[in-house]
Amino acid sequence: MNAVERNSSVGAAMVVGGGIGGMQAALDLAGAGIKVYLVETKASIGGAMAQLDKTFPTNDCAMCTMAPRLVEIGRQKDVEILTLSQVEHVQGRPGNFTVTVRKRPRFVDEAKCTGCGTCVSNCPTRNQVQPLESAPVELEPGRRQAVTDILARHRNRDGPLMPILQEINAAFNYFPETVLQYVAEQTGYPLSHIYRIATFYSAFSVVPRGKYVINVCMGTTCYVRGSQRLMEKIGDMLAMQPGETTPDLKFTLKSVRCIGCCGLAPAVMVGNEVYGKLTRKDVAGVVRKYQEAS
Amino acid sequence: MPRLTIQGLREKREDARREAAARQAHLKGKIAIHMGTCGNAAGARGVRTAILEELDQRGMTRDVRLTVTGCAGLCSREPMITVEMRNSPAVKYGDLSAEKVRKIVAEHIVAGNIVKEYTVGIGSANGAPDIPFFKKQVPLVLRNGGVLDPERIEDYIASDGYAALEKVLLSLTPEEVIDEVMRAGLRGRGGAGFPTGVKWKVCRGEKKNPKYIVGNCDEGDPGAYMDRSLLESDPHSIVEGMIVAAYAIGARRGYVYVRSEYPLAIERLRSAIEQAREYGLLGDRILGCNFDFDMEIREGSGAFVCGEETSLLHSIEGQNPEPRQRPPFPAQVGLWGCPTVINNVETLANIPVIVTRGADWYSTIGTPTSKGTKIFSLVGKINNTGLIEVPMGITLREVIYEIGGGIPGNKKFKAVQTGGPSGGCVPASLIDLPLDYESLKQAGAMMGSGGMIVMDEDTCMVDVSKFFVQFTNDESCGKCSACRDGSEALLEVLTRITDGQGQEGDIEFLEELGQAVKDASMCGLGQTLPNPVLSTLRYFRDEYVSHVAHADCPGKVCKALIKYYIDPDKCPGCALCLKNCPAGAIQGSTRHIHIIDQAVCTKCGECLEICPPKVSAVVKLSGKQAREMRSLDAPIPASEWKKRRSEQAGTGAVQ
Repeated sequence: MNAVERNSSVGAAMVVGGGIGGMQAALDLAGAGIKVYLVETKASIGGAMAQLDKTFPTNDCAMCTMAPRLVEIGRQKDVEILTLSQVEHVQGRPGNFTVTVRKRPRFVDEAKCTGCGTCVSNCPTRNQVQPLESAPVELEPGRRQAVTDILARHRNRDGPLMPILQEINAAFNYFPETVLQYVAEQTGYPLSHIYRIATFYSAFSVVPRGKYVINVCMGTTCYVRGSQRLMEKIGDMLAMQPGETTPDLKFTLKSVRCIGCCGLAPAVMVGNEVYGKLTRKDVAGVVRKYQEAS
Repeated sequence: MPRLTIQGLREKREDARREAAARQAHLKGKIAIHMGTCGNAAGARGVRTAILEELDQRGMTRDVRLTVTGCAGLCSREPMITVEMRNSPAVKYGDLSAEKVRKIVAEHIVAGNIVKEYTVGIGSANGAPDIPFFKKQVPLVLRNGGVLDPERIEDYIASDGYAALEKVLLSLTPEEVIDEVMRAGLRGRGGAGFPTGVKWKVCRGEKKNPKYIVGNCDEGDPGAYMDRSLLESDPHSIVEGMIVAAYAIGARRGYVYVRSEYPLAIERLRSAIEQAREYGLLGDRILGCNFDFDMEIREGSGAFVCGEETSLLHSIEGQNPEPRQRPPFPAQVGLWGCPTVINNVETLANIPVIVTRGADWYSTIGTPTSKGTKIFSLVGKINNTGLIEVPMGITLREVIYEIGGGIPGNKKFKAVQTGGPSGGCVPASLIDLPLDYESLKQAGAMMGSGGMIVMDEDTCMVDVSKFFVQFTNDESCGKCSACRDGSEALLEVLTRITDGQGQEGDIEFLEELGQAVKDASMCGLGQTLPNPVLSTLRYFRDEYVSHVAHADCPGKVCKALIKYYIDPDKCPGCALCLKNCPAGAIQGSTRHIHIIDQAVCTKCGECLEICPPKVSAVVKLSGKQAREMRSLDAPIPASEWKKRRSEQAGTGAVQ
């Protein structure tokens, strides 16, 4: 092989198989500036992962992993998708392959099709599921007003998602599902992304929480000075485990990693109020104070 | 309030000083109430109300000025006040209550007699109270802590506040500011100790615009709270540091990322930013000069990993708050892809000091490689719990025994844990170690954010490292498997060891795995999470061995390896423990020797705590002692035991 031949590589790559791995490979290659042919034997890309709910071992939501990649591939101009296609023959050497692909007919001119769906609705033999238009999110008027106000406050802000979610969390004490859907609809953030953020931070919750959130500090100093026993005491008093909420939605019991009151260990925070140097007796008094409060 | 020019700021400072002096002239005295989060939690609000009422009743509200300030540092004595009567030294009172302050008002404020029994320290000629806790400190960053009212910008301006900004805008180019910071030798106070000036220079050198400055106050390390206190007691120094930094790197926008667990700090910083904006210190054309900058607060929502810089940036952007691979460093590609400097807020608070007093002066403090001062939070088993600011290079001995006042209860000092879950333990044998970046690193620990948890002989080092791994395991974001699964595996083995199920080879496995996690993790969280394990293995390997090989927990902490036991020779049969045992594991009755039913005992330690110190009949046993322990079969009268004892005195020992 001479030097000229060695250098005469073509600037394109082929990824065979349009599953999650193939899609990611195609995106990475395209991102690196390489033209990619993505070959898939089925009528659409997506592969087996599209059929899964969760993936092992991390329990990640499969669709959440896949959906952004599907969208990105659709937008990526450097990826050419060859569906209903199969590789028949490969020749050449690294850097310069010639591949023969057999493409089965789709009976639709892909270059002209706009995806309008008219052929589906007019097909006399149609018995398939029709693509649904997403309905606008229904939200109770009271909530809608509150959320609209919050969204309006952050409209022209850089990186508004966190402040929006923080305010919603403060307003409702948790994230009602419809509210998150509404936020997704209004802001244009994918719902999957919003869920990702909403479930990442320990201050957020997607299930209703109590009016008073009791945070027992489990920082090193408090831990060493017996905050575990305060936790047990509160749990006994309210008949609940850490992480739970009382049925009357009054209390939620949680542990928190250091509230920076190590000089007053062990400390407990209820709402924004900090109580320090607590014994089990003291903490009972604190809880009672909130039990009596309306 | 019209926006100030440089001249206006100077006049404002003169005005504020004159006003203060005029006030001074007709005031009998001043009372400062230290109301940080810890002060409030200890009851400072009640103290304040009591003082107000008392002054009001005596008609003295005009004679005595009452100010609310941040923390004075000595958290274990909260709530605290400082009383300064005219022509006499300032007196700090601690451990106060409403009744106590009423007495102080009556005797000190009215009659002029210091109430000795409540004092913490009495100011010497140069101002610092005459106790070792304060004397050994060098307050640069915390100079205003516990002195100024954090909610009044006038007070800050009067005490040379925003003088650094004035100097920078008048006489220094951005390059000169960076040069000054480099010459001062300032290094990042957040943990890694990267030279601040170098970071700024890299960012300034980037062509892309806009640039951003971010103050990191996502202080997640358990046991560290200097950033919180800084924001609560002197928020303007952070604002000023941010503005100067922005000027140096060429940023027009800044963010301070504060964790949501610090509501008071957020409130005070927010009010400081608003005041600064009102005075023309933020916004367009700052102090009438051709320089625009504004900043806002971003709150965290309880994720430890957000303290990592790339993760923090993702959080501000509203992305998945997971770290990313570096390089490119944020100084090159940061917020929204633009060059961004991220500094810890303590680092930023050093900037005004460096600019006003000069790099030459600043670099005389500290060691050749670590300049300036560092704030440590001294917590754990130590007499004087609190925040201390000391020059770099001070020895651990000075910190623990002089400033900290030693270990309570005459216990033996065992180790100090520095740097939180990323740091390690420094054993008692290294008590003369100078505290600077290099020495700590060499000892297997790290400076970290400055948390310093003191441990005495009653601490089990295996339990401590388990605690930290549990923490990092909880907080690992799960992006890379070395950290996610590595911490899981470390925790599993450590739990096994503390449960008394340790196996041969476990210790070697911990070492090997720890090293692997260190090497293979992507961000700082994963790279440092094995440190607590590795450093305790380095200095306290024998403790691990005794857990695994002898089922003995030398610190008598691990519940599976200890037993509580009532010494019949000491038990007077007072029934205190009997009444207080939550599990009902203690048998006996009044004047009878109590025994603990080991099958029922939950090892909560209540009996040990409740047993009066002069009796101290309840003891903890571990290892061989616990295995060979024999207690009585049933409670017997104390007199009966004494008789048996004397009968057996000749024949042999009873156990």
